[in-house]
Amino acid sequence: MEIPEQLYYTEDHEWGELEDDLMRVGITDYAQHELGDIVFVELVEAGTVVAKGDPIGTVESVKAVSEIYAPVDGEVFEVNGALTDTPELVNQDCYGEAWMVVLKVNDPAQADTLMDARAYQAYVEAEAK
Amino acid sequence: MRTPLYHEHERLGARIVDFHGWEMPVWYTGIREEHLAVRNSAGLFDASHMGEIRVSGKESAPFLNRVLTRDIPAMPKNRVLYSFFLNEQGGIIDDLTVYCVEPGESYMLCVNASNTENDLRWVIGQNREGAVIEDRSAETALIALQGPDADPIFKDCLNFDPGTLKNYTFTALATVQYGDIMISKTGYTGAGGVEIFLPSEKASGLWSSLVEQGARPCGLGARDTLRLEMGYPLHGNDIDETTTPLEAGLSFAVDLNKPGFIGCEALRRQSEQGVSRRLRGLVLKERGVPRQGFACMKNGQKVGVITSGSVSPLLGTGIALAYLDRTIEEKEEVEIVVRDRHLKSTVVRPPFVKAAGK
Repeated sequence: MEIPEQLYYTEDHEWGELEDDLMRVGITDYAQHELGDIVFVELVEAGTVVAKGDPIGTVESVKAVSEIYAPVDGEVFEVNGALTDTPELVNQDCYGEAWMVVLKVNDPAQADTLMDARAYQAYVEAEAK
Repeated sequence: MRTPLYHEHERLGARIVDFHGWEMPVWYTGIREEHLAVRNSAGLFDASHMGEIRVSGKESAPFLNRVLTRDIPAMPKNRVLYSFFLNEQGGIIDDLTVYCVEPGESYMLCVNASNTENDLRWVIGQNREGAVIEDRSAETALIALQGPDADPIFKDCLNFDPGTLKNYTFTALATVQYGDIMISKTGYTGAGGVEIFLPSEKASGLWSSLVEQGARPCGLGARDTLRLEMGYPLHGNDIDETTTPLEAGLSFAVDLNKPGFIGCEALRRQSEQGVSRRLRGLVLKERGVPRQGFACMKNGQKVGVITSGSVSPLLGTGIALAYLDRTIEEKEEVEIVVRDRHLKSTVVRPPFVKAAGK
């Protein structure tokens, strides 16, 4: 299972990559593997204002439906429209091409409330037990 | 509970889930890949959790003729029939296949895993004729080898060509490696191939050998999407004790002309009066995933409910089975309520994809 070092992680298995006040968000390798073949992705519209924990989209596999939540407070700046037509990208490249939204975050320091790679690794191992 | 193939699944790295108390593989590498392997080449399923009930003795045929919906005394040797146990209301206690091992003397029933216990209790309770009823589930493994390459792969392993068998027939085969096995030209995928009943202790050997010959291990996930593409019902989802074979569009497996089987009065009445709902196929015209329990709407009115749904790996669109009001015809449009959205769909007659050889 891949857990890139430089990203932030949530307990709902989203990742965030912070650059200045923009955070790119997607779901983790663990999440896509747990879900299995992704067949549908629906995301909120750009411009939506969200608080940490608000739903920003839905991912469906053959077997399961899963919500995606905002890791921090902010506004949806950009959504990845490619996932509508090619939801399977989430299984193929969850940290790359299959990013889901970019948030314009209210306070970049809020990212420090999220897990780093090491903490997320421990979290996933605990959950898998 | 575990099947005799549990350790094979573990060794192959399967994702194991609980299926009505059974620890079963839902997938090995992915539902889509496994699904397509069955449609394009060959896939292998562990169906050993299913129940096998042997019914024998001189009273076996009259007894089965009363508890099943098909003409049992007319079955020739080695024939397989799809049939039901019905309750007095015509509701489906279980759907199953009947194997005529020896006409008038010995039959085998293959029933759903989740219903095996209930079925056994029910048939034993109904057995006033005095047929001999035995639960053979534990000692019997069932492996389904399905797909266009299934027959040649089987032949490479066992030196017997299942291509010589007609659909819905079986043959008993004594083998050195795997003991006495039964090869049945049946399946739950619409892709062709065989189902193999064999002694539980021989299951691992045959499984490994079929994998070696190129059959891809497939989990219950692909089994479900494959049967859904064919419109085959799943008991517990699409059919149960509150739905009848006529409502489910399965009247081909009910012989209403034969005398006195359990449920026949109710079905005859329903046949005369007409059903109020029918199990239909739906194909989504928009992106989305229809799922069990979602409502179907027409002109602002609820006209039905989905009993099984998924995205067809072959078509790439959402497909579903749903009970719809009898007024809804094929080719009509109904809306499926997916959370807060109403998605357009077309009513169709399954299968959603063409069966092999048809």
